[in-house]
Amino acid sequence: MKSPRDPGKLLGFRPGADPGELPFLSSWVPGLSNPTREVQGQAFPPSEFVKSSGFSNREAAPVRLPVHSLLPVSSPPFPLPVAPAALGQCRCSDGCQVEAVSPPSSMAVAVSVKTALQVAEVLEAIVSRCVGPEGRQVLCTKPTGEVLLSRDGGRLLQALHLDHPIARIIVACVSSHLKKTGDGAKTFIIFLCHLLRGLHTITEKEKDSLISENIQTFERRWKNCCQWKFISQALLTFQTQILDGIMDQYLSRHFLSVFSSSTKERTLCRSSLVLLLEAYFCGRVGRNNHKFISQLMCDYFFKCMTSENGMEVLELVDDCFVELNVSVIGLPVSDSKIIDGLVLHRDFSVYCPADGDIRVAVVREIIQPVFSTSRSEFVLNSEAQFQTSQIWIMERTKSIMKYLLSQNVKLLLSTVKQPDLVIYYARLSGISVVDCLSSEEVSLIQRIISLSPFVLPQASLQCEISDTALVKFCKPLILRSKRYAHLGLISTCTFVPHCISLCGPVQGLVEQHENALHGAFKMLRQLFKDFDLNYVKKANDQNDALRPCIYKNNRKSNQVPKIGNHSIHRSYQDTGIKNSDKLEKTQYLKAHSNLVVSDVELETYIPCLTLKMMPPDRVQTDEIWRCLPPENKRITDDYELLIESNSTRNSLTENPGIEISYENFQVTNIAGKGSMLPVKYKSLDTCISQSFCSSSIPAGCVLPVGGTFEILLHYYLLSYAERCQQLEEIVVSKLIASALLGIPKILYKPKKGSHSFPQIYLRALHTLQTSQPMISCQAGLESVTGKYHVLTSVLQCLTKILTIDLIMNIKRQPLKNCDQDSEDELQH
Amino acid sequence: MMSCLEAHKPSLCHSEPLTTEKVRAKLTVLKGVLTSCYGPFGRLKQLHNGMGGSVCTTSQSTVLLRNLSVTHPILKILTTAVQNHVSCFSDCGLFTAILCCNLIENVQKTELTAATTIKLNKHLLNFCISYLRSEICGCRIPVDFTSTQILLCLVRSILTSKPACMLTRKEVDHISALILRAFLHTIPENTGEPIILGKCIIVPLKGQRVTDSTVLPGVLIEMSVQLMRMLPARKSSALKVALFATSLSGDFSDPGEGSVVVSYGVSLENAVLDQLINIGRQLVSDRVDLVLCQKVIHPSLKQFLSNHHILAIDRVGVTLMEPLSKVTGAQPIGSLGPVSPSSYGNAKNWCSAKFGCKHFFHLIPNEATVCSLLLCNRNDTAWDELKLTCQTALHVLQLTIKDPWVLLGGGCTETHLAAYIRHMTHKEPGSILQDDGCTQAELQLIAEAFCSALESLAGSLEHDGGEILTDMKHGHFWSVQAGPPSAVNWPDLLSRCGCGVYSSQEELTWSFLRSTHHPFVPHTRLPQEALEITQQSAHSLTVDCLTAKLSGLKVAVETANLILDLAYVIEDKN
Repeated sequence: MKSPRDPGKLLGFRPGADPGELPFLSSWVPGLSNPTREVQGQAFPPSEFVKSSGFSNREAAPVRLPVHSLLPVSSPPFPLPVAPAALGQCRCSDGCQVEAVSPPSSMAVAVSVKTALQVAEVLEAIVSRCVGPEGRQVLCTKPTGEVLLSRDGGRLLQALHLDHPIARIIVACVSSHLKKTGDGAKTFIIFLCHLLRGLHTITEKEKDSLISENIQTFERRWKNCCQWKFISQALLTFQTQILDGIMDQYLSRHFLSVFSSSTKERTLCRSSLVLLLEAYFCGRVGRNNHKFISQLMCDYFFKCMTSENGMEVLELVDDCFVELNVSVIGLPVSDSKIIDGLVLHRDFSVYCPADGDIRVAVVREIIQPVFSTSRSEFVLNSEAQFQTSQIWIMERTKSIMKYLLSQNVKLLLSTVKQPDLVIYYARLSGISVVDCLSSEEVSLIQRIISLSPFVLPQASLQCEISDTALVKFCKPLILRSKRYAHLGLISTCTFVPHCISLCGPVQGLVEQHENALHGAFKMLRQLFKDFDLNYVKKANDQNDALRPCIYKNNRKSNQVPKIGNHSIHRSYQDTGIKNSDKLEKTQYLKAHSNLVVSDVELETYIPCLTLKMMPPDRVQTDEIWRCLPPENKRITDDYELLIESNSTRNSLTENPGIEISYENFQVTNIAGKGSMLPVKYKSLDTCISQSFCSSSIPAGCVLPVGGTFEILLHYYLLSYAERCQQLEEIVVSKLIASALLGIPKILYKPKKGSHSFPQIYLRALHTLQTSQPMISCQAGLESVTGKYHVLTSVLQCLTKILTIDLIMNIKRQPLKNCDQDSEDELQH
Repeated sequence: MMSCLEAHKPSLCHSEPLTTEKVRAKLTVLKGVLTSCYGPFGRLKQLHNGMGGSVCTTSQSTVLLRNLSVTHPILKILTTAVQNHVSCFSDCGLFTAILCCNLIENVQKTELTAATTIKLNKHLLNFCISYLRSEICGCRIPVDFTSTQILLCLVRSILTSKPACMLTRKEVDHISALILRAFLHTIPENTGEPIILGKCIIVPLKGQRVTDSTVLPGVLIEMSVQLMRMLPARKSSALKVALFATSLSGDFSDPGEGSVVVSYGVSLENAVLDQLINIGRQLVSDRVDLVLCQKVIHPSLKQFLSNHHILAIDRVGVTLMEPLSKVTGAQPIGSLGPVSPSSYGNAKNWCSAKFGCKHFFHLIPNEATVCSLLLCNRNDTAWDELKLTCQTALHVLQLTIKDPWVLLGGGCTETHLAAYIRHMTHKEPGSILQDDGCTQAELQLIAEAFCSALESLAGSLEHDGGEILTDMKHGHFWSVQAGPPSAVNWPDLLSRCGCGVYSSQEELTWSFLRSTHHPFVPHTRLPQEALEITQQSAHSLTVDCLTAKLSGLKVAVETANLILDLAYVIEDKN
């Protein structure tokens, strides 16, 4: 934070809250003064931590993680007023011994922001070197001797085997986040670390100013706990009530979409998908391979997709990813390719070349009958009986095969191993057999061609095959001297079967690429879904920001479609702006007359939305503006009515302007490379109308990479904080706003000159203030929902950390179900 | 579940692993071991396990890396990459490993950021590959399948580069001719699409002279002397063959999950034996001459068959089943029921043969793509090495059929490539740099590192303290014995370049490879005359398989990039 390159300083913007700016802090929470810090400062000698911070100092010496010695487990210097309560809780749950009972040698650790920060900083040091396009690889070894290459945050955290309690909380939060979204572990850690750092600086400064206070130690601690509780509550309220609103109202106008939605059908735009995937793989696979892998994935996705909507394909590929890809070790990565058809991870037991009409049948049991099934007895009374039964078995197997052949079945897929006899008769009948298939593979086949396995009847020789399906071809496929069965299935769903063969010189690399691909499918699956924001509109809160009121207005006008311009104006006057008068009315009319002038002007109006940035009269016009479009858009039928109303001239003149803005599909030129980004620049109108229908982030919303989301949110949070009057909200939004910058700072760290972070940041602020469209200097897109999820997960994690005041070390074997849970979490 | 209850030990995390002295030292040691093995004059390594097992002498990367226990994760990445490459292509293992080590070492000296070096390495690799694949390439020879010349050179180059086979020059000629013959046997005569190559079975015969090795069409099955004597008289006409995959020993297989109750007095053995004899009767009536069984044949059935002058051979083993089925055209029979007539196959004849102290049953096919290479060598370890070499050669020949080009060997490709890259980075850096934000100076640095990695790879062919020169016209590799006098007439001292294409009498100028010299334009496009002259002459060329070498190059650069990109190593200490 204090490095000379700290952009915050350069810009005169101070990260974290400044006591000078926030004189109210002490009044906000009674116990905000933080005397316990001193005590803890003694308890946690900083020298221990210096060792671990060797990471950031590029020290080559190995660092043992987690830094267990870093956080002393013994003797916090307070008499533990909390212990009985905690003890009681523990007893309730499982009646275990809690070490905290014996006071001096207590194993309880007080949780403080400082300790959490120390832990998070260690993690950040590791993670930050793998983040972004300049990130590097990490080699993990397993106890079995295998090596794995990874840049995946979740995997790294898992490989570290952290056993510090706070680290474990963090890792658990990260893995539950990953379970949900499959992305953003590194961002999570960095963001969390910056939040903690921000909190730390707040408290440190408070401590300095109130150091003379003389309260008893445990009281301080109590107050301290209260303070954290308040902060965490404020964070939670912020996340649930304010964040969604900001996302919806301000950020949404910057969203781009991967769908080219010229028609009602959403069509996936290939070039924006390429940009999205490239940016995704940039942070996930080695520097040289991300282009290749993203191209491969893009090709694969489009080859597998028949309809315009890829959702079904994504779900299938995500669910059955393991079955759909074949790893080939020993070849260079560039030999990876897409294979038409389905490759089973098994060789043929019998392969009989066949052409023409090939049908396939699936079986889940052994075809050859046996002497006795389980829990039955077969009594042999004579040698002849034995011989006849053996002959019967052979005949029966033979007849089943003959029957299959008569049904034109040339390929038999089996989940179980078929005995030699079956194999022999299959060969005689010219039926190819693939057995020992995994049930996942069979269920994938069933899903693709909707075929159910046939059941062998017990008694009669005549069996009925309920279901067979046609295949285009079936042939052996040899990949690096290993043989596979290769089937050309004819799909009955929207998924056109294709497989990826991933090559690489070592297993670890192939695994990395597999995981990255799988993650990408997860990410797309998430992206293609609408995401509902649960934001509560504070309709009547006059103290609140102005924006919600206006929205309310708009809504009203929306619900009453027949109202003319005057009525809109009236309702607008009622609630929204207080000092509206005649002058304003003329202003409003002026605005309308302006519309007719040119659509260029119109465009300049669109992004101009920030309240404080504009002179009041322009604010008015702007708002009126937004009152009108939704109505116009939604009630095209009522358009006639509008014309009939008094203000005929106005609505007439207004209409062409609206039309233009509505069909305002801009082609934004991204980056100096001249790559054209044919995504629709969401014009204001559509954004707003969507926010009326349901406040949600629509499917396919993306933003340019390189910290655009963070900088945007940072900017809007700050401007929100300026308007806001509630202290907690101001503090929290400033805290989050400054922490958000941590990610772009790391991303632009290796860049120099005009691409360094301060420059980028300044430019971004300037464009936002002057209401120009944001232009990113990097090609590539990222999912908005993904980013949003990271943000909320981190805030939840932080509240979790802040609400815990004491960690107790329990020397006891964990209960079985608890154990499984934690194991599950670690393996994510 | 016990493992879950044990506390996990925290992992150990090293940052910037390549910068530590320990890792560098380990890399140097590995490189030293591998370099000393490289080439026809490479030093042999004797591997012996203190815990027991046989001692083996080798210079091949396959054996060496399989037996070395590498502990450091970075070295593990390197060695597994090389092993995986070898398992795909059989050849160029040491080439890949040494090049990778050299690259890591040289690139680290440049002290550029990992991002830049990796990007540039990749560009250089792409540049090399497109050059080696292009028409103007000056170190690539097309394979002419109408003559055996180049193929023989290829096999001979592989054999000479494995000194642990302990072959004399005459023996090398003999074995390379055998390998080529065996390979030609496996190519089917009627070439439909796709061509399915047959199989060459290597039959061990240790303790014999190498020149006793031979190639026979068909399959050799080893038999004991007693069995040999019991063989019936040979028939002149074609043989009818039955091939059994199921056991004919009369065992009762798979009664199912429930239980089978056998009443008193009922003998299942008799019942099964009846079935076996029934099969025997059918075989007799079907006029089968030879019965081959993968598993065991019941002695009674054997007796029955031999009474009817049917030759029965059991315990053939699963590995021979596929070749036997291919040779005879018989389908392996999997049931004790009536044999369908379509399962039978046929063979031209059989004979018994004695090689060394071993007796073999030799099945002579009518026309098939299966042959047996009877391979002899003096002792076990030399035989193992020779067998591996033969497999490599056969595999390389297969690869060459797919991609009919060979590269010049003997270090010439490496030095030529280095000269060409140097020249191009000075003349047309834009052709390598693809507007990627790298400067020309950075390119110069990395290209120098890349070229010197290639050159020192070529240099490691020399093990006897000799000097290495390169000519300023073609950029080929020349080596000269140690301690040349200061003022010498180079053409007299040198005879031929590493690959043997050029002789020293062609008005060339030389310079020491390790010395700094100005980049020159190496002649691209191999002159046709040069090839024709050498092909006629008795002197043979040294050539390498293009496919294997290209893939080796790719894997080496990719692996080096991978290792250079590592920011951390996290070691799980559990």
